[in-house]
Amino acid sequence: MKNITGKLKGDLKELKKLLPAEDTLTFEFTAEKGLAFALIYADPITDKELLGEQVIRPLLRYEGEPAAAEVGKKITSPELRTEKSFEKLCEEILAGNPVLLWEGADEGIIAGTKKVFTRAVAEPSTDVVVKGPREGFIEDVKINTSLVRRRFKTGELKMDMLEVGRRSKTVIVVCYLEGISTKQVVEAVKKKLGEIDIDYIPDSSYLTHFLASRPYSLVKQVGTTEKPDTFCAKIAEGRVGLLVDGSPIALTVPYLLIEDFQSSEDYFVPPYRATFTRLLRLFALIVAIYLPAFYVAAQLFKLQLFPVKLLLTIAGSIRDIPFSPSLEMLLVLLVLEVLNEASIRMPKYVGMALSVVGALVLGETAVSAGFVSTPAIIIIAFSGIGLYAVPNLIEQTSVVRLVMLLVAGSVGTYGIVLVTAFVILYLVTTENFGVPLLAPFSPFRAHDLRDSLVKYNLGSLSTRPRLLKSPNKRRLR
Amino acid sequence: MNKISSRQIYLFLACVAPVGKLILLPAQLANFSKNDLLFPLLAHLLLQAAAVFCVLLLAKKGQTLYDLLVRAFGKIVAKMLSTVFALFLLFAALLPLLEQKLFVQNVFYDTLPSVVSFAPYFLFAAFVCAKPLAGFGRTWDILGPLAAVGLIGILALSAPNADYAALMPAGASGGAGFLKGAAAGFPWFYDAALLIPMLGHIDYKKGMAWKGALFYLLGGAFVIFFFATFYGIFQETAVNQLFAFSATSKYYSGITMLGRIDYVFIYALALVMAFYCALPVQGCAECALQAYGRKKYLPTVLGILISALLFALSLLLDYKFADVLKVISGTVFWLFPVFCLAVPALLLLFLIKGGRRETA
Repeated sequence: MKNITGKLKGDLKELKKLLPAEDTLTFEFTAEKGLAFALIYADPITDKELLGEQVIRPLLRYEGEPAAAEVGKKITSPELRTEKSFEKLCEEILAGNPVLLWEGADEGIIAGTKKVFTRAVAEPSTDVVVKGPREGFIEDVKINTSLVRRRFKTGELKMDMLEVGRRSKTVIVVCYLEGISTKQVVEAVKKKLGEIDIDYIPDSSYLTHFLASRPYSLVKQVGTTEKPDTFCAKIAEGRVGLLVDGSPIALTVPYLLIEDFQSSEDYFVPPYRATFTRLLRLFALIVAIYLPAFYVAAQLFKLQLFPVKLLLTIAGSIRDIPFSPSLEMLLVLLVLEVLNEASIRMPKYVGMALSVVGALVLGETAVSAGFVSTPAIIIIAFSGIGLYAVPNLIEQTSVVRLVMLLVAGSVGTYGIVLVTAFVILYLVTTENFGVPLLAPFSPFRAHDLRDSLVKYNLGSLSTRPRLLKSPNKRRLR
Repeated sequence: MNKISSRQIYLFLACVAPVGKLILLPAQLANFSKNDLLFPLLAHLLLQAAAVFCVLLLAKKGQTLYDLLVRAFGKIVAKMLSTVFALFLLFAALLPLLEQKLFVQNVFYDTLPSVVSFAPYFLFAAFVCAKPLAGFGRTWDILGPLAAVGLIGILALSAPNADYAALMPAGASGGAGFLKGAAAGFPWFYDAALLIPMLGHIDYKKGMAWKGALFYLLGGAFVIFFFATFYGIFQETAVNQLFAFSATSKYYSGITMLGRIDYVFIYALALVMAFYCALPVQGCAECALQAYGRKKYLPTVLGILISALLFALSLLLDYKFADVLKVISGTVFWLFPVFCLAVPALLLLFLIKGGRRETA
């Protein structure tokens, strides 16, 4: 690792060799007493106004010795560091922090005048609430850390910064409350992050692969949230949080499946209402997964499952349908998925037209033309809505629904029973960071049921979840 | 992954184990013991409770079956005995699998489906073998309450239609009826033997043995009530009702309006039964693994082999269920008391003797 020599021309030449990109610029100037300085910076990501104000202007009148400590005293930027190695200096330049060199310099000075392009802190579209905080994380990790820090005015909040990605050098902040999170989990998270050897981390979702105990599993094993209040609440329970630069989605571990049935709003409404909505989400999800499958299986293999009058209605609707029940249902499901995919990416003004096309043209006309039956459309519509009752599990549940549908069409209702058995056995044997995914139901932990599908009032939640094994058990005195 | 907890064992004994007795056994006992079907049932439940007590006492040592056998007889004999026990569990798995297959084909399909409709079950059985025993214990936290809901639901829909007076006069079938029923019922009572491969994986708690026996009897009370309801509904024709728990609830008056609402409970119980019937298969694999070592992919490979063998047998014996039942519950029924009652008692005896010798 080469270090700077103090000969300005030679050092600049070396830096230019390491950073040949044309957007890396050098600004050379001389102080009143004749000391030559040079600022090397990445043009698009450096705040030049700040650089002029805090670095160049004070140094123009510099009269002291060419030692880093002396030069540093003149610079008014609050973020200052020194570094000798060219490699490190290059990293800083590429991160948007200009490097100051001068004739006879023993170290280079790094000024924190990075230009940050961010959007405003806004309510996340995936987690809208009526009651409670509306802030959401954004792509800038510094702003995200400030959103967290604002909520914990304590030195116990640790924010350990790591860099992951050979080329992207993405900043990852490991957040936890010392004395509340278990050391083992913190260490395990850092170890797993340290072992990642990838060149680019575009988003936090990349990290979930490396943090999961079963990386190739369909099952979600890392918690996600876009809301700082939810993130902080999880940290306060004893979890470890991860903020990733460039991603508005924060990660939390250990993760329990039940977390995705909970909304941040549940904590701001009366407990009976929160319990009701959680049970409703579970019911909606179960119906969304099983209803299309049972409808197909019952039609094909077990008509007795329908009450007589309903059976007659269904028989009337499906009489002229040219497809088998499973193919019909798969087609309608496919249309729903296509509409869903298209509507997410379409401009808003086209989205309205798409809804009309989807609902009226495709739905109404397909039924009138006799391609699909009305019950199939009703069932898929209900199923589609039901899945969105638990939006964080959409990726997983939509696949399970499809598998259920395929099995129901080929093996019948017993196939559905067997897929359920597979799923149960798979879920109960999945654990990450020593915490079982299906807890507190399996293994059963009565204490932790207080904030699971049911929600007790705040007075009953005086201790932290036991599953997380926090060394500090009491949160309410 | 942790060990199987005492709560999980109790849930298995009280809620999951009764489910295996609700398909063919009621008709089988009604065939031999008529309205006295509850007496052989009670005798079996008491005997099994005693065997469960013995096995859970053995769990106190925290040693596997193989370790216990090594301690009592040395390595070579232990290997042989473990293999024999594994083969017994493989044999014990056959009847419930065929019974379940028959049940699924008759109850879940309007027309008789092809022989391969039950085939996916064997994939599940193989999957079960690849998973750790403690993981299987965790399923009971979910399946226990599910089974309880299923049993209570079925009983709630069935009980109003039963005439319990049909069970009177008690003792009408005499001692011969009792003995025949008891002998024919043995292949359905192997719950204590299912716990034996779990030895060494159970997190023993003080008083677990008698609590386990008590929970087994609590589950047995459900079974007795169900059998009484079953006979109360079908009476002399009970012998023809081969799929008891799907038959008793179909006379519920709300079915005309709501459809077969009872199928909600039947599917719940079918799900529990899928796990219950996979237990002897996993037990067989576990005994073999304990004796011959647990290498990386061996549990999966063994699970696939055992499941493939059972699948082949299920195809071969597809139309011979009556003959299989006749052989298992008529000719070789004695294997069950030997392995399910005598083995736990003898193991306990050897252990006590061994313990005394060590103390001396």
